[in-house]
Amino acid sequence: MSAVDYTKELPVLEGKHSLRELDDLIAKPLEIKPDKKFYIALSITLSMLGLGIFGLGLTFYYGIGMWGNNNPVGWAFDIINFVFWVGIGHAGTLISAILFLFRQKWRTGIARFAEGMTIFAVMTAALFPLIHVGRPWLAGYLFPYPNQHSIWVHFSSPLLWDVFAVGTYFTVSLIFWYVGLIPDFATMRERTSHKIKKITYSIFSLGWRFSNRHWQHYEMVYLILAGFATPLVLSVHTIVSFDFAVSIMPGWHTTIFPPYFVAGAVFSGFAMVQNVLIVIRKVFNYEQIITIDTLDKMNKIMLVTGSMVGYAYMMEFFIAWYSGVEAERFTFFNRALGPYAWAYWIMVTCNVVSPQLFWFKKIRRTIPVMFVIAVFVNIGMWFERFVIVVTSLSRDFLPSSWAYYKPTLVDGAILIGSFGFFFTWILLFTKALPVVSMAEAKAVVDGAQPSHKDH
Amino acid sequence: MMNEKILYSYTGIFNTPDEVKHAAEEALKHGYKKYDVHTPYPLHGMNKAMNLPASKLGYVALVFGLSGALAAMLTMWWIAAVDYPIVTGGKPFFAFPAYVPVAFEVTVLSASIATVLAMLFFFFKLPNNSHPLHATSYMKKVSTDKYGISIQAEDPKFDETSIIKFLEGVGAVEINAVYWEEEEITHQHKILEPKFLTFLFFAAVITSGVTYFTLNKLLFMQPFSWMMEQQKLSVQQKSVLFPDGFGMRQPVNGTIARGYLPYEFKGQPDVAEERLINPIPISKESLQLGQQKYDIYCSMCHGYQGEGDSRLRGQFPNPPSLHSEKVKTWKDGRIFAVITEGQNVMPSYAAQLKNDERWAVINYIRALQRALDAKESDLQ
Amino acid sequence: MSSSSIEYQKKDLPAKIKTIGLALFIVGLILVVLGYVVNPERSAYNNIIAFTFLASVGIGSLFFVAVEYLAGAVWSTPFRRVGEFLSSSIVILPLLLIPLLLNVNNIFHWTHPAPADKSLIDKAPYLNVNFFIVRIVAFWLIWFLFYYFITKNSRRQDQTKDQLITRTNTKISAVFVPLFALTISFTAIDWLMSLEPHWFSTIFGVYYFSGTVLAALASGTVFIILLNERGYFVKGIHTDSYYSLGALLFAFTNFWAYIAFSQFLLIWYANLPEETFWFLQRWEGSWKFVSVGLILVRFVVPYFGLLSQPSKMEPKRLITMASWILFAHYYDLYWLVMPNFSKEGALFGWIELGFPILIAGLVILVFVYNAKKQNLVPIGDPKLKRGIDFRL
Repeated sequence: MSAVDYTKELPVLEGKHSLRELDDLIAKPLEIKPDKKFYIALSITLSMLGLGIFGLGLTFYYGIGMWGNNNPVGWAFDIINFVFWVGIGHAGTLISAILFLFRQKWRTGIARFAEGMTIFAVMTAALFPLIHVGRPWLAGYLFPYPNQHSIWVHFSSPLLWDVFAVGTYFTVSLIFWYVGLIPDFATMRERTSHKIKKITYSIFSLGWRFSNRHWQHYEMVYLILAGFATPLVLSVHTIVSFDFAVSIMPGWHTTIFPPYFVAGAVFSGFAMVQNVLIVIRKVFNYEQIITIDTLDKMNKIMLVTGSMVGYAYMMEFFIAWYSGVEAERFTFFNRALGPYAWAYWIMVTCNVVSPQLFWFKKIRRTIPVMFVIAVFVNIGMWFERFVIVVTSLSRDFLPSSWAYYKPTLVDGAILIGSFGFFFTWILLFTKALPVVSMAEAKAVVDGAQPSHKDH
Repeated sequence: MMNEKILYSYTGIFNTPDEVKHAAEEALKHGYKKYDVHTPYPLHGMNKAMNLPASKLGYVALVFGLSGALAAMLTMWWIAAVDYPIVTGGKPFFAFPAYVPVAFEVTVLSASIATVLAMLFFFFKLPNNSHPLHATSYMKKVSTDKYGISIQAEDPKFDETSIIKFLEGVGAVEINAVYWEEEEITHQHKILEPKFLTFLFFAAVITSGVTYFTLNKLLFMQPFSWMMEQQKLSVQQKSVLFPDGFGMRQPVNGTIARGYLPYEFKGQPDVAEERLINPIPISKESLQLGQQKYDIYCSMCHGYQGEGDSRLRGQFPNPPSLHSEKVKTWKDGRIFAVITEGQNVMPSYAAQLKNDERWAVINYIRALQRALDAKESDLQ
Repeated sequence: MSSSSIEYQKKDLPAKIKTIGLALFIVGLILVVLGYVVNPERSAYNNIIAFTFLASVGIGSLFFVAVEYLAGAVWSTPFRRVGEFLSSSIVILPLLLIPLLLNVNNIFHWTHPAPADKSLIDKAPYLNVNFFIVRIVAFWLIWFLFYYFITKNSRRQDQTKDQLITRTNTKISAVFVPLFALTISFTAIDWLMSLEPHWFSTIFGVYYFSGTVLAALASGTVFIILLNERGYFVKGIHTDSYYSLGALLFAFTNFWAYIAFSQFLLIWYANLPEETFWFLQRWEGSWKFVSVGLILVRFVVPYFGLLSQPSKMEPKRLITMASWILFAHYYDLYWLVMPNFSKEGALFGWIELGFPILIAGLVILVFVYNAKKQNLVPIGDPKLKRGIDFRL
């Protein structure tokens, strides 16, 4: 296994599979009753969710005072968690759209799952702005609608751009996901003999017939959607970065924020996808669909995006010094050596140093090690947002108003609750829908495509 | 039984993608028009084999994307520059760069939704769960691991024996006829089906019930009502704090409301005429304000022209003209006294008109007087 | 096993091309020398444009060669040599660099900051002539060494057909790419951003990177199409590869717009005087039209020119757009550099023409020289067969 044979293409799936075996393997979790392990997992995630709901209940009853936010630090866990979860969502679209445009076939095994994670992550993220508005039932005012007060939303506000960006992102991801699911629903419809299931699958498959006159348009639409989703995914985290960068806050107002945030988002998203997939492939015996080669490639992408993030840290620091602006220089000095230095160095260690281990092929292909590194990456990326939000705010232009921010237990409960919310959805997803695209997996099996004879 | 059924198509099953591609090419060569290939996943080169024209869905995306962008930009322009202009951050009302993000998102959103809806509902005519191919062994196979071709009875060159021969010729391992099912032919979608109407009825009742409950009850319950029910006294509420039991208090003695300087010549219009001087110079703005207030408060008696030309003319007492010599020679202060205190039947307008507005009305009255009695020099 | 089945007959480029290259080179050289005699300062500014442009083509092409190795891409293998040939522009970069280094004091006003200019004196540890020269020499050495080893290995493979060479080159490329990111960013900061030493923008390195990628892709596309249409490649290159090149050009045009817009929006929105003045300089007098023109030239025209599928596949249309993008990159650099020289308004004269002609000639000559000595197709590459069979 020392030398790679460059004359041959790496197979996407390991081993030889008949198409029917693939269908059976992928459809299996949907056709058996959930086992004990599933219920144990579900009870854990539901408990976490319950904790979060408790925290939220306290918040709504007593007010935002239950959080640790103080005077200079008016934005804390809510925005950190929001950015963190939106970031997690970015890997899904990257895998399904950008890798699709680059014709990377290895995405097949992981695309459906990553897209699902995108949707759940965006849902989790959307909770936080809702909480933060204080009266979430009035969130409808965020949308521009004609009203008798003649009051409109402000289109120059980046927070409003967020509403549009996250809303569009969620809708388009959902459409993209559903379009991919249609043929699988049809396959399931033909497979099942259970009456209710059959009706459900029939409805969702819309009566798809596997016609090639349809496949042709279908592929076109997939290409168009990928073409739209690619700039969309860039725009979403770009706009999230605008929330900070259009201000004049040192440490927030820096022009590299858009690409830097996008790279960071993809980075953390891949880490999360990799973590969850390692569990999924083990539990469902998908080792030959989600191959070690795929994980290897995901780790490479984490190495690349992690290094991009490292580049951005370096460039921010350098330009802060180079700018000669006192406030800029102080902010960055304060980050690395001030009261939040611990957070800064956790961030650097987890985000920049730990993924460098992926330079070694051995580590890229050892599951426990890569799992741990990806966990570190997620911790690091959470702390990145913490560092950006809290260090800049806690020591702003006016030294007399400086204060140290400390989160409360309620903050922590809501954060744990968001994980519970996300993983509950994931668990339900694994039992409700095929987690690997059957049609796409079959299309990349050896000999699944006509041989070239036309030239 | 079999003969009563109407034939939909003949289908052939193949084991490999190469064979089905070959079959598609042959079908094209034979001049079949109404045929289709069914495969569990899209096959490369199939479009060419079936000679399908390029998909037109790209145009749908283009048209809807561009119109989405345009609509978003226009909406934002109208809202921010026309309907409710407001300066923020020293930016122009129509701050183009700041509107790019939203316009972009709307572009993507409208293009994606339109393309997918166009594909599913207009190009594919889905949802269609009563197609004859559904629930056949053919569909079961092509949805999993086999490749099939189906030649429809509608095809102009359709002929049972030659079709079977053709399918055998290209190497189909299984050949079957597919028939319409009774229900698929006779079934017609009727809007007025009782089932559908019942569904509509319940949907309407539930939707309106929930909406009513949410908007009229739920939002007035705790904790949603906390913003409304605050620990403070609202107007006209009772209060146990004050001995008189009123929540509202009288203003402190000597308090003056803005714009309502006290009038010191009560009952002395002649003194007012001597002492009061119109502080408002004649300008376009003051005349416009004067006209507005005059039309609202004065015109119903004195008439729009000030000639007493209102609908009260001819009744007793006849509303007086403002063009009489008496009024013309009055100084502004005298008219001010009349507006403030009233005269004869005319009540006081002190509560309706602020001081400045009274002066503006006087300016306007002067303009009316001048208009009816214009001089040569006014034309210049 | 498979590479032996590919028959490749080396074809020499027609002598005419060399003559054209030589003619362009001589005309350009005369104009440049005259320019330096007449107006050395203005010529030096033009020289920066030319230097950064040629660096884009050379280093960018090497970047693409490296990325092909790293990504294990096969579709670009049949014409990877075009990238390798173009990357040998790195070798001639010093030709454009030497006159600049002689003129450092005329161009960069951080070399002699006013005593009251505290901010510039603050930056002196980075912005000083010695360190500046050390940096550019070090960067050039890095580029040259990687160019030397990657292309040498690639040529060696033509004879040995050794698969291990691909592996070695992959490893070299993995080291090169991060170094590329750093060197290209600091080149941008040194040569373009420090022309106005008070201004700063963290995204600037990425901005130059986006232009570099476009320039390298576009110059590669021009050569690939010209050569392929005259049958210089084995079996010819399929239009699917044209499509991929066109799609990449389209994607990076959007990427440039994204980066440029992000930079502009953030500075415009925050409205801090220490940043906005840079854009205001480019809104002075006739620069306004050049600035608006940049949006059209660099984004609108290539965007709509490459949007449709046929425009990426038809050689004529693709080559037109690729040439346009090359022009757009030059235009972009002009927009970055020249407002520092002529503050009142844009200026254009024969001095501005000398350098583009010179580098066009140089690139052609370098290409011809390489094409004469080496195979145009990497016949020993194990991925070649797959590359030739590549279909979308």
